Amino acid sequence: MNYPTNLQYSKSHEWVMMDGDVAVVGISDFAQDALGDVVFINLPEVGDDTTAGEPFGDVESVKAVSDLISPLSGTVREINEELLDTPELLNSNPYGAWIIKIENISDSEEMLSASDYEAFCQSEEA
Amino acid sequence: MIRKLKVYCSECFDPYFNLAVEQYLLETVEDGCCILYLWQNQNTVVIGRNQNAWKECRTTLLEKEGGHLARRLSGGGAVFHDLGNLNFTFLVPTMDYDLDRQLEVIITACRSLKIHAKRSGRNDILSDGKKFSGNAFYQNGSRSYHHGTLMVDSDMNRLGRYLTPSRAKLQAKGVDSVRSRVVNLRQLRPNVTIPLLTRQMIEAFEQVYGLHAEIMTLDDMDCAAIKKLYLRNRSWEWNYGRQLPFTFSCDEQFEWGNMQLQLQVENGIVRTAQVYSDAMDWQSAPELEKALIGCRFTLPDLQSAVQSCRSIVGTDISQMLARQNI
Repeated sequence: MNYPTNLQYSKSHEWVMMDGDVAVVGISDFAQDALGDVVFINLPEVGDDTTAGEPFGDVESVKAVSDLISPLSGTVREINEELLDTPELLNSNPYGAWIIKIENISDSEEMLSASDYEAFCQSEEA
Repeated sequence: MIRKLKVYCSECFDPYFNLAVEQYLLETVEDGCCILYLWQNQNTVVIGRNQNAWKECRTTLLEKEGGHLARRLSGGGAVFHDLGNLNFTFLVPTMDYDLDRQLEVIITACRSLKIHAKRSGRNDILSDGKKFSGNAFYQNGSRSYHHGTLMVDSDMNRLGRYLTPSRAKLQAKGVDSVRSRVVNLRQLRPNVTIPLLTRQMIEAFEQVYGLHAEIMTLDDMDCAAIKKLYLRNRSWEWNYGRQLPFTFSCDEQFEWGNMQLQLQVENGIVRTAQVYSDAMDWQSAPELEKALIGCRFTLPDLQSAVQSCRSIVGTDISQMLARQNI
């Protein structure tokens, strides 16, 4: 399992990379592995508000539909439209396939460093 | 760890209400608790979260025969529910979610009825190599559910009729259903009835978890919260109008020439339309296209749009649409 050290992670298994004032959000390698093959994604629209700890979209995999939980409160600046046609990128390249970019950030879930997140994932698996 | 069991048996057969109760129970299930919810829907096709209603179901026929189309939160394909079918849902905090244990409840209940049930893949439970239970899953982060059908005495004729896809070409993103060979439990054991299976499910639930289950009533629930979900569940926008764009096309040879119709539909509304024909003197295309744009993608709405045109072929096109089984 891969945990890049330049990212921060939420306990609901989203990753965040800050790019100036804009947060780039995706799902972790651990998350994609737990989901199994992703077959569909529902994304918010640009301009929608996100709330920390609340769903901003969902993914359907061969196992289940799972809500995507926003690690941040803010506004959707951009969505990765490529995922609408090729949601399987979430499996093959979870850290390359960003899902949304959030701006006007006002609040955040508790975020973990790569090493803390790795320990958290191991405790979840146990 | 699960320390408490609860059971709720719905007395209502309305799919929109029952699905609202299911979501309410998911959102409110306490830590350490597992709820078994048992429910039945009258004459309903339930499609998966990300399915296209028209692609999976003959919606016009279903509605004409008094049936309902409903959308659930979980993924997967379309299923048919009637009063010969019992639905179950296990609702738990995600950390206590245990699919093997939940399936063990079903297998134990079947065993008590002398039915040998076996899990197949992720989603099916089979007996004798045929499927009697389809399962699907949803998690909202902290809470998860696992639900499915238990076919006791379903009307296979209706099931086959409604779940036959449209004749027209429908290009859509979204999740496609997988067809399975299905069987009613009653074919395997003629003494099985819905009340009997309900009792055995509750008994097996207590047995597998080793706890006594508390029976819930509607008085334990917040009716205003359920009503809000109910109104969404029965809305046209939720069932048909979700933002799953698709292209519908059909064509037919008439006495006067060939006719091809293509519609791009978003949120259940026709956004653009193209009409082609090889007929001589064909001048009606722009008028027809204009009439169709903005129209809801339902057979009656499409038919009244084409019949509002002055073109004498309006009736032919209207009949062509009717033949597509949308």
